[in-house]
Amino acid sequence: MRVRQAFVVAQREYLARVKSLGFWLATIVLPLFLAAIGILPTLFLFKSVSAHRVAVVDRTGELGAELATRLAPAPEAAAPAALTAGKAEAEPGTEGFEQQLERQLEAARFEVTVEPAAADPEAQQAELNRRVLEGELDAWIWIAGDALESSRVEYHAASVSNFITQDRLQDALTAVAREHRYRNAGLDPEQIRELARRVRMTTFRITEEGGEEEGAEAGLILAYALFFLLYMVLVFYGQQVMNGVIEEKSSRIVEVVVSTVRPFELLMGKLLGICCAALTQLAVWLGTMVAFTLPGVVSAMAWIPEDVDVPSISAGLIVHFVLLFLLGFFVFSTVYAAIGSAFNNVQEAQQWAGFIVIFLVAPVLFFWMVINDPDSTVSVVASLIPFFTPLLMMLRIAIKTPPFWQVALGYLLTTAFTLGMIWLSARVYRTGILMYGKKPTLKELWRWMRYA
Amino acid sequence: MTPLLELDAVRKSYGDFRAVDGVSLTVEPGSICGLLGPNGAGKTTSIRMIMDIIAPDAGEVRFFGRPRQRDDLLRVGYLPEERGLYRKMTVTDHLVFLGRLHGAKKRRMVPAIEEWLDKVELSEWAGKKVEELSKGMQQKIQLVGTVLHKPDLLVLDEPFSGLDPINQGLFKDLLAEYRRDGRAVLFSTHIMEQADKLCDRICLISRGRVVLAGELKAIKRRFGGNSYRLVASGNLDRLAAVPGVARAIAQDDGARLLLEDDASGAEVLPRLLEAVTVHEFRSEEPELEEIFIQAVGDSERTGGAAGEERHAR
Repeated sequence: MRVRQAFVVAQREYLARVKSLGFWLATIVLPLFLAAIGILPTLFLFKSVSAHRVAVVDRTGELGAELATRLAPAPEAAAPAALTAGKAEAEPGTEGFEQQLERQLEAARFEVTVEPAAADPEAQQAELNRRVLEGELDAWIWIAGDALESSRVEYHAASVSNFITQDRLQDALTAVAREHRYRNAGLDPEQIRELARRVRMTTFRITEEGGEEEGAEAGLILAYALFFLLYMVLVFYGQQVMNGVIEEKSSRIVEVVVSTVRPFELLMGKLLGICCAALTQLAVWLGTMVAFTLPGVVSAMAWIPEDVDVPSISAGLIVHFVLLFLLGFFVFSTVYAAIGSAFNNVQEAQQWAGFIVIFLVAPVLFFWMVINDPDSTVSVVASLIPFFTPLLMMLRIAIKTPPFWQVALGYLLTTAFTLGMIWLSARVYRTGILMYGKKPTLKELWRWMRYA
Repeated sequence: MTPLLELDAVRKSYGDFRAVDGVSLTVEPGSICGLLGPNGAGKTTSIRMIMDIIAPDAGEVRFFGRPRQRDDLLRVGYLPEERGLYRKMTVTDHLVFLGRLHGAKKRRMVPAIEEWLDKVELSEWAGKKVEELSKGMQQKIQLVGTVLHKPDLLVLDEPFSGLDPINQGLFKDLLAEYRRDGRAVLFSTHIMEQADKLCDRICLISRGRVVLAGELKAIKRRFGGNSYRLVASGNLDRLAAVPGVARAIAQDDGARLLLEDDASGAEVLPRLLEAVTVHEFRSEEPELEEIFIQAVGDSERTGGAAGEERHAR
C-alpha cells in the first residue's frame, strides 16, 4: 500500500464531510435533540395539558367531594417554576423529584364536578352520555353505593385508551377510598401515611479511586448515553461509508480513481477519512458532555433539581470509548464498504445493509441483562464476541470496570477479527467497484472472495 | 525511439470466455494510435489491463521500455469509457484531487488549473460544485483532469462517445498537440471514421484477437492498391471466379473488387472483359470502414489474423 495515495483519498473524504453544512448541523442538532427529548416533554406537559373534564356521580355520598379536592389544581401547580422550587411540599426527603412532578401533573390535569345522584340512575347515565357525546364532558365516573366494599368504580368516556389519565384517576380514587376505610376502622390517616413512608436507598459506586456517592440513575444514564452514542455513530458512519462507495461506483468516478490508486489504497483512504470525520464529531460531543458534567457547570444550571445526580466521566472511560469506536468502525465499515461495492444503488444494497444492522442491534437486546449483571457469564461471553465487543464492552466498562484480562481479550479478538474483515471486504470491494449491471448472487460474492 | 507503451501477447479470460486473446501493440512517441474493433471485441478489457485495473492472465505490459511499475501510471492520463466526477466537490477541488492522485503538488497545480479552465472557458465555474455544471461542462472538466498532470501518454477509452461537437473539437486539438510534442495517445473507438481521420497507427481487434495492425497509411496503400470500382452488366456472379480477384462485393450497378495481393488491375481487366460487359473500372482507396469489415470477416473465416503484419514496430 502506498500511504501517500491513501492519504490523498482520506483527505478528500474528510474534507468533503467536514466542509459540508450537514455535518455541522448534525453535530450541533443531535445533542440539542437529545436534550430536547429529555427536557421538553416535561415542560410541555406543564404548559399544554388541557384539563380532563370529569363529572363524578357519587352514590356513597362520601368519596365524591374528597376526590374533587384531591384532583383540584394546587395553586402553584401550573407554573413551571414549581420545578425549581425544590422541596417546598411536605415530607422532605421522602418525595423525590419524580413524585413531585407527578403530583403537579395530576393536579394540572383535571376539572372535576360532583353531580348529585339523581333518583333515576338510568336517566342520569343517559344524560351524562349525551353530554360526553356533545363534548361538554370528557368522561364521567360512577361511584356505586357499595363502592367502598366492592372496590369497583365505573369510568365512561368516548375514548378509553387514555390509560395514563385513567391510572391517575384510579390512584386518586384508591387514596380517597383508603382514607375512608382507615377512618372507618378508627385509624388516623395522617399517622398511617407517616408510618408507611418509603425507604430511600442511596447508592455508592466502589472504584479504585475510592467510593463516591453517585445516584443509580446517574451511572445508568452515563452507560446508556455512551452505549447509544456509540451505536448511533457506528450505524450512521457505516451507512456513510456504504453510500460513499455506491456514489463513487454509480457516478463512475471510481474508474478514474483506480487507475492511480489501488482498490485497497482507496478503501483504506476512504475508511481513514470518514473515521477522522466521525472522530471530529465525537470530539465535539464528548467535549460537550464532559463540559456539562463538570461540577461548576452543573451547579450553574438552574433547571437541574438539586437531587438529580450528574454522572462523572473519567479520562479512562473516554479512551476506551474512542478505542472501541475505532474497532467498531473498522469492523462494520469494511463490511458496509464491501456491500456498497457489490451493488449498483442504495436500494439494492439496503437489504444487505439491514442484515449487518442486526449485528449492531443485537447488543441492544443484551442491554438490560448487562446493565443488571455485568459479570454474568452471558454478559462476559457476549461482550467477547467481536461483532458485539465494541458496544457491550463499552457498556460493561461504563457500569463497572471488568477484569483486565476480559478487556484485553475483547480488544485482541476484535482487532484480529477486524483485520480479517478488512482482508475479506477488500477482496469483494476490488472486484465489486468495477462490476456494473446485475446484482451479484451469493455464489458470485463467494467467488470474488476466493479468486479476486 | 523507446516506445511509450507496449503490450506483449496479453490475455484475459472470464471463465470460458476469452475477452482478450493475445493482443500485442506498440505506441511510439509522437503518434496517435487507434485501438479499433466492434463492441465487445476486448478494447476496454485491453485498456484496463494497460491501466493495471485488471491483471492479465498472461503476457506483459511495458511502459517506457521496461516492465510496468505501478508508479508509471502516474505519468499516464486515463479517461475511462464510463467516467464521472464527484458531484459535491467544487471544480477546483476536484481537479486538485485528481492532480494529487497523480503525484502533483497542490501549489504547483493551481496556476495550471487556472490556465486550463481559461482555455476551456470555464474560469467562472472554478468555485462551483460539479453538480451545477452542464453535461458538456463536466466533460470538459474530465478532459482537464486527464491532462492536468502533464502525462507523457494519454489512454482514452471511447473518448468521443457522448461528446458535443465543441468538446470533440477540443479533444482533437489535444490529440494533435500530443503528437506534435512527441508525446503519444492511445484511444479506442468503434467509429472508424474518427480513427480514419486521427490515427497514425491502428490496431484492429475482433473477438479478443488482433486482426490487423500497423501504420494506417501503409495499410490503406496496401488495401487501396488492390481495390477497384467496377461498373458492369452481365452475369456479375462470375466476378468472384475471375483469376486474380480475391473478393467481389456486389453493388447496385456493379461491384467493388478486391484483387489478390500479387494481381494488378492491368492484368485482371482483360479477364473481366471476357466475363462481363465493363462500363467503368478504376482504382479506389478504401475507407477504413471497409478494411475493418473485410479484416474482421477474413479473420472469422480463417479463425485468426488475416496474415497482415500483426505486430508492426
